[in-house]
Amino acid sequence: MEADVSASMLFLILAEKEHPMAPDSTTARIPKPASSQADLLYEAQQRQARHFRTNVGLSWGILLLILVYLFSGQDFLGIKTISLDYEFIQNNMSFIARGISETFIVSALSITLAIVLALFAALGRLSTIPPVYALSTFYVSLIRGTPLYLQIFFFFLALPQLGIILTGLWAGVFALGLNYGAYMSEIFRAGLASVGKGQREAAIALGMTPRQTMQRIVLPQALRFAIPPIGNDFIAMTKDSALVSATGFVHEIMWRATRVGRAQFHNLEALIMAAVFYWLMTLFLSYIQSIIETRLSRGDR
Amino acid sequence: MPPIIKISSLDKYFGRLHVLKQVSIEVAPREVVCIIGRSGSGKSTLLRCINFLEEPSFGTIEVDGLKVEAGRKGKEHRQLVHDVRLKTGMVFQEFNLFPHMSVLENVLEGPVTVKGMDRTQAIALAEEHLDSVGLLFKKDEYPNRLSGGQKQRVAIARALTMEPKVMLFDEPTSALDPELIGEVLNVMKKVAKGGMTMLVVTHEMGFAREVADRVLVMAEGELVEDENPEKLFNNPRDPRTKALIDRYRTGNY
Repeated sequence: MEADVSASMLFLILAEKEHPMAPDSTTARIPKPASSQADLLYEAQQRQARHFRTNVGLSWGILLLILVYLFSGQDFLGIKTISLDYEFIQNNMSFIARGISETFIVSALSITLAIVLALFAALGRLSTIPPVYALSTFYVSLIRGTPLYLQIFFFFLALPQLGIILTGLWAGVFALGLNYGAYMSEIFRAGLASVGKGQREAAIALGMTPRQTMQRIVLPQALRFAIPPIGNDFIAMTKDSALVSATGFVHEIMWRATRVGRAQFHNLEALIMAAVFYWLMTLFLSYIQSIIETRLSRGDR
Repeated sequence: MPPIIKISSLDKYFGRLHVLKQVSIEVAPREVVCIIGRSGSGKSTLLRCINFLEEPSFGTIEVDGLKVEAGRKGKEHRQLVHDVRLKTGMVFQEFNLFPHMSVLENVLEGPVTVKGMDRTQAIALAEEHLDSVGLLFKKDEYPNRLSGGQKQRVAIARALTMEPKVMLFDEPTSALDPELIGEVLNVMKKVAKGGMTMLVVTHEMGFAREVADRVLVMAEGELVEDENPEKLFNNPRDPRTKALIDRYRTGNY
């Protein structure tokens, strides 16, 4: 079944077990029944699940081949394809690839900042103290009401006037972190709301203080609820981090691609290389995310 | 013997709704008191006022010598309420076990986090109480792997591990499948036999009859009857009690 797909790609595809169509994600958890007829049925279901995965893998392989073919420059049956300068690609591959670490660092720092901000914003949203509630809603409204691209420039341009000179990297991290924090606060808010009133009451009846109730009972459950959407946001952020290149000081994937592309008049090749690297990064992150989610669902929910 | 619980002229309003009207009750140590009444009669609210899950509007509540007046605010009041909660254990209709903790961790949470008890000591105590509800063998399971009856028994162990003076049960069997009610009632009987003071809001007339020393009847926020079970079930004084008992007889409450 590996015939048409490169081994690593297939590995990633198979890791994505969470697809709702994949029958295995439900059947695999059913404990093996005792009777022989049930055994047969169970095996048939397993076979069907394997069959489904094989065919999904094959189809992915075919789609990937078609995609690669579209960039081959070949003219087949009158269908034109895009022609690329493969020598340029070969020569500049490593230069752009070196941006992966920078992209990852920007995203990881930004998501960390975003999680902290989102948590406070969500707690502020639950507060009964008017200024705290106002601060939270004001922040979310302001950030969600303006473009991310603009916010990145704002940090880069405005802060020096206050005597705060941030490197391009930190300006980018603050802008991305603030922006995602505002959106993510809704995730945490939903997470906090998902913890039933009875949980708080049980904690209070045991004699826990409001702080203990929040730390020991409510937050752990809310975070568990929030982890899958945080993963999604992290994946989205690795791509939005490309906007940071606009300031010209963070040498991440996008900055490197535009630089070599412009200098040697090979913008398309450079951008396609960047696209491949972003895609590979997000595939890897999706794989990590699916592992975490499986582990979480196995636990106690 | 002085009462361990003394509720004096308690009133509770939800907005304009008057849900408890001048309720006064005394409960002696080791007494088992069942509270019955139709839904909306205020029986759960009364129970929840005792550990201040609901803040009463007027009146006083005294638990084991701690006297709390309704409607107060401030640090002193909060400390008093906290101390009352340490003297009361509560069991909920919906169990409210913590789903992210194992059975043992659920039971440990109170003594370790609230009382700051040494963990090894707390584990010994927790295991003792889990054993007494017959669920020591489930200590490493998570709540979602337990039946409703088992969940409720763990909830009882969780409350008992705090070594309260009084146990409050808020319709402990109402969320259970009929075949699981018995195991929970049996554990409650055992707790009662152990000499625990218990207040039980319930629809289980058999339990009230067999275990309760007194049965209180609530109707429209008022305490309409306070009688020993034999007399109450054979000879209801208030017409509302009679109607209630008839409803239970026909299973239509």
